[in-house]
Amino acid sequence: MNRTDSKYFHAIQILEDNCTGCTACVRVCPTEAIRVRDRKAFIDPYRCVDCGNCVSVCEFHAIIPASDSFDAIKKFKYSMAIISSSFFGQFSEDISYANAKQAVKKLGFDDVAEEASVTNFMIKMIRQYIRENRDCRPILSSNCPAVVRLIQVKYPSLLPNLFHMEAPMSILTRFMRNKISRDTGLQEEEIGIFLIVPCVAHVTAVHQPEGAYKHLQDGAFSTGMIYGKVREIIKNVQNNPVPIDTYPHGLTWALSGVQAELVDADDIRVLSVNGVENVMDILSRVEDHYLDQYDYIVLRSCTNGCVGGCLNVENPFVAMSRIKKMIKEGNSHDVDITELEDLHQKGEFKVTPLAPRPIMELDKDIKKAIQKMKKINEFLTMLPGLNCSACGSPTCYALAEDIVLGKATLDDCVVLKRRPPSD
Amino acid sequence: MAEYRFFADGFEERVSDYLSNKPEADVELEFAVPEKDFNTAGKGSSELKNLLKRLGVDSEILRRIAVASYEAEINVAAHSQGGVMKSAVHDELIHVSFIDSGPGIGDIEQAMVPGFSTADDLVRELGFGAGLGLPNIKKNSDAMRIVSQEGGSTTLEFLIFF
Repeated sequence: MNRTDSKYFHAIQILEDNCTGCTACVRVCPTEAIRVRDRKAFIDPYRCVDCGNCVSVCEFHAIIPASDSFDAIKKFKYSMAIISSSFFGQFSEDISYANAKQAVKKLGFDDVAEEASVTNFMIKMIRQYIRENRDCRPILSSNCPAVVRLIQVKYPSLLPNLFHMEAPMSILTRFMRNKISRDTGLQEEEIGIFLIVPCVAHVTAVHQPEGAYKHLQDGAFSTGMIYGKVREIIKNVQNNPVPIDTYPHGLTWALSGVQAELVDADDIRVLSVNGVENVMDILSRVEDHYLDQYDYIVLRSCTNGCVGGCLNVENPFVAMSRIKKMIKEGNSHDVDITELEDLHQKGEFKVTPLAPRPIMELDKDIKKAIQKMKKINEFLTMLPGLNCSACGSPTCYALAEDIVLGKATLDDCVVLKRRPPSD
Repeated sequence: MAEYRFFADGFEERVSDYLSNKPEADVELEFAVPEKDFNTAGKGSSELKNLLKRLGVDSEILRRIAVASYEAEINVAAHSQGGVMKSAVHDELIHVSFIDSGPGIGDIEQAMVPGFSTADDLVRELGFGAGLGLPNIKKNSDAMRIVSQEGGSTTLEFLIFF
């Protein structure tokens, strides 16, 4: 994986040779983290929240998601894959849930586990947390790493509202590492635990978890990459099926709306929101205390939840429909959660309080910030107001801000250059 | 002509200092608030919040400003024939004013009572008009003033110190 010198690691890479400087990515970035200068795009690592919008919109394969090399699993005496619940919605209906899971194992893992196996435990834990933290309502879900980072950078006053507990795949990682070590006698560092994830935000979270007390996973693979490998061997698996546990009712975790319905109770009112634009709108309203009637808000950066992740292969609506079918038709056996509950009682799943990462402040000193704002307004009156992004900043306002912060000049405005001086 | 004034504990002196000096604002924002246009109502306070984030205003103070200005903006949209929202940012405080073009508040003291509302059915259907707007603005501001002319214009302004 490529690590930049910056304090913040991101699982997004720009291939300069492919970049045409078209500014499509600049315009879809929710935190205005991308600029095109000298006809190449670059990402400000402080502002990026790993939502993946730029990856999806780039037509030139210039912005590509980074994930770990599959060979990484060979470095360990024992390797396990933990599969995101959105994964099984990717396959056409002639490939069964059990076959797809068996095929993942056959790729070279000693065992596979599923995010879906801890859904019931998560729901119980979330409800308990909501009831114990009524003073912080509405509680905001923290499973989506892009949403957590968005709150850190743009809505820091809402950090206390975040559900301060590990996400299900991390909980499962802690539990499994412990269990495998006990069962096999191997040291914890001899066990490799890898996630199969639907989005870049989760790849980033594996390499730079927010608020984690200790080391979690050893790598992350994209759903798309594993999907390709599974398709190669699926015929063989279908001809030689072996019994394998599945958790169809737990797949609800992949769908933000269905998850909200599960947390909902007589004393818990839940709202479900997905898509990064909607998420920002809702967070702004929470800031205004306008949504205080809700106890819990499920927030997912991608359309429909994790099924909309940019590393998936299937359309988020088709994947959602398939998962709903699996939930409806599947027989889930009860998962014994007593061990998980013991660990929860011991405080194993707690995370450190999340710190703000403000990106909007013009200056630490409010007086200087006001002076800069005055200058921004002066430059804004000189700019054409077309918001065309041709300068490489997303809007005229952003260019004015870049000029005042010393990151651009008025000459970057293509439209002003073309206009006769008298105009 | 009716007038209502409120000062939060300990702020009277700072507020009168400010009002007597009448300093020129460093940054100003102005938004039109059209009558019964609930699609755009709230936009002014949302933009104001973005401005304050850029200035690095403390997040708890920012939330108080956001609540007060949002409530006031909705009030103008719901109850008046439309008006304007003006925000003036100074080094130490923000001064937000809402000036509408009528029809005026009949009894300001009554309007300040939590739960009292004259909102019509359209406004209530949209989920507004619970009669908590003015008390909520008062609760979140350091100073507030309402001047209203029965049958004429109303001005509501509040100050919040950073």
